[in-house]
Amino acid sequence: MGGDESTEYTFVCPECGESLDVNASMRDALLDRGCVICGASVSPSAFA
Amino acid sequence: MALNTQTELPPDETAAILRRHETGVISLARDDDPYAIPISYGYDPDERTFYLRLVSSPESEKRRFLASTPTARLVVYEEETDTYRSVVAQGPLEEVERDDLSVEHIEQYGEAKRPLFEIWGEEKRDLDIHLYRLVAETLSGREITVER
Repeated sequence: MGGDESTEYTFVCPECGESLDVNASMRDALLDRGCVICGASVSPSAFA
Repeated sequence: MALNTQTELPPDETAAILRRHETGVISLARDDDPYAIPISYGYDPDERTFYLRLVSSPESEKRRFLASTPTARLVVYEEETDTYRSVVAQGPLEEVERDDLSVEHIEQYGEAKRPLFEIWGEEKRDLDIHLYRLVAETLSGREITVER
């Protein structure tokens, strides 16, 4: 990943099924802007 | 119908057109074959970079045109009564790999999701979605008013 923070979450998009390891900043951005791959809305349940 | 002189727009007005819109037509070429498709985009004016996602299948015509890092041309245009404006950007179309994704990418691709021009007949999880960016090496905006 391109972020400076270490990986803290695994994101799995409920619509496209994409799985990405993300840090906290990326998690916040995904919740705000949607899945970077398919554009679907993202809820906190998409992160483990 | 007479045409007024075409005017080249300054950078700030060119960027304003790109902010007002979120769709355009991107053109690729391979040898003598053209390929143009409507896309939605996110745009970073500081980096003069467009962010877009493209859907293709391994056998598709689109994939053949995207096989390398092709030079692409993106056209965004608008018309308002008798005034027509267009922006043309040209530069390499580079794929953004999943491992390189950052917060900035997520924010920019968030701007590129409406409307989805792609005709998706399958569930999203069955599609092959790739992320691209076009760094504009040239970027020009023009305006012309038609006297009727």
